[in-house]
Amino acid sequence: MVKKVLMFSCQIAILIVIYQMGSLITRFFSLKIPGNVIGILLLLVLLWTRVIKVEQIDLAATWLLKHLSFFFIPIAVGLMTLGPIFLNKGIVILFVLITSTFIGLLSAGKITQSVIMKKAKVKVNYHDHSV
Amino acid sequence: MITVYSIVLTIIVYIFARRFGRRYSSPLTSPVFFSTLIIIILLVGSHITYHEYTPAKKIMTYLLGPATVALAVPIYKNRDLFAKYFVAACVGLLIGTFTTILSAIVIAKCFYLSKMLLLPLTIKSVTVPVATEIGKIIKGNVSLIAAFVIITGMIGAMFGPKLLNLFKIDHPFARGLSIGTIAHGIGTAEAVKEGEIQGAVAGAAMGIAALLISFIIPYIIPYLL
Repeated sequence: MVKKVLMFSCQIAILIVIYQMGSLITRFFSLKIPGNVIGILLLLVLLWTRVIKVEQIDLAATWLLKHLSFFFIPIAVGLMTLGPIFLNKGIVILFVLITSTFIGLLSAGKITQSVIMKKAKVKVNYHDHSV
Repeated sequence: MITVYSIVLTIIVYIFARRFGRRYSSPLTSPVFFSTLIIIILLVGSHITYHEYTPAKKIMTYLLGPATVALAVPIYKNRDLFAKYFVAACVGLLIGTFTTILSAIVIAKCFYLSKMLLLPLTIKSVTVPVATEIGKIIKGNVSLIAAFVIITGMIGAMFGPKLLNLFKIDHPFARGLSIGTIAHGIGTAEAVKEGEIQGAVAGAAMGIAALLISFIIPYIIPYLL
């Protein structure tokens, strides 16, 4: 148990360091890409080059991702300060956000799926020919 | 004191909302929406302003950065899948991103919304920490941007899976990509619950969409609005 807690804390620390490095890189080169995105790329490179093995951060990463929603709640509570704007134009804003989100979700999903299916079909046909 | 109270309150509500959501699964019980609603009601009820809640927020969101970085793990684990569906992913991401931005602006213009409201619409599908950074570059209202981004994420998390079912989009890769591209982190949190592939793809799509939009939007804003 103690060992597991210790391991978990170490893994969290690794992720924090990588995140901080990402932020540092962004600031140092004054990039327009945010630090957390650089952090993802950094960790991918480290995993790819086997400097870090998946097992060495799996425990903390899985736990953090399982509770990813939690971190958005305190930010979302900030909506309570925007009462006046939403009282005024709330329905129109909601309408715009809902329709454009639905359109985006459907077009992204449908197109990705149809490209995947098309590719699968081409493969099947090719296979049929060879037979 | 208020800070400790706020943190304990947020954690308890979150745990309760998770249990409740698992038992009575519905868009209204999706964790971010449901917890936020209860917390706002409780804060208003105990006369705590958002200003007083802010220190607690800073402490609780400290791990959001590292948690975002952790998305590299499912991406790495599913690397073969990304290689296999590379073309499909690129096409879906580009078209999804552009249709959601364009449709938002066109509809908003039909209602004669002001420029202050139009600007945040262009980056509403980018994950919160990234959107606020782009917001500074394009000189948008940061709290409005955060609000639009969060509401978009909530809509995607609440209705996304059902909408995709309705239109028979059942391939796990396509589902993850769609939700991650459009509903960023909040959607990804929902996709993670659906399955490992969905979660990994959503996380990757969120990152790539954020990269794509932060590269393009600052330059094309003058032509869009």
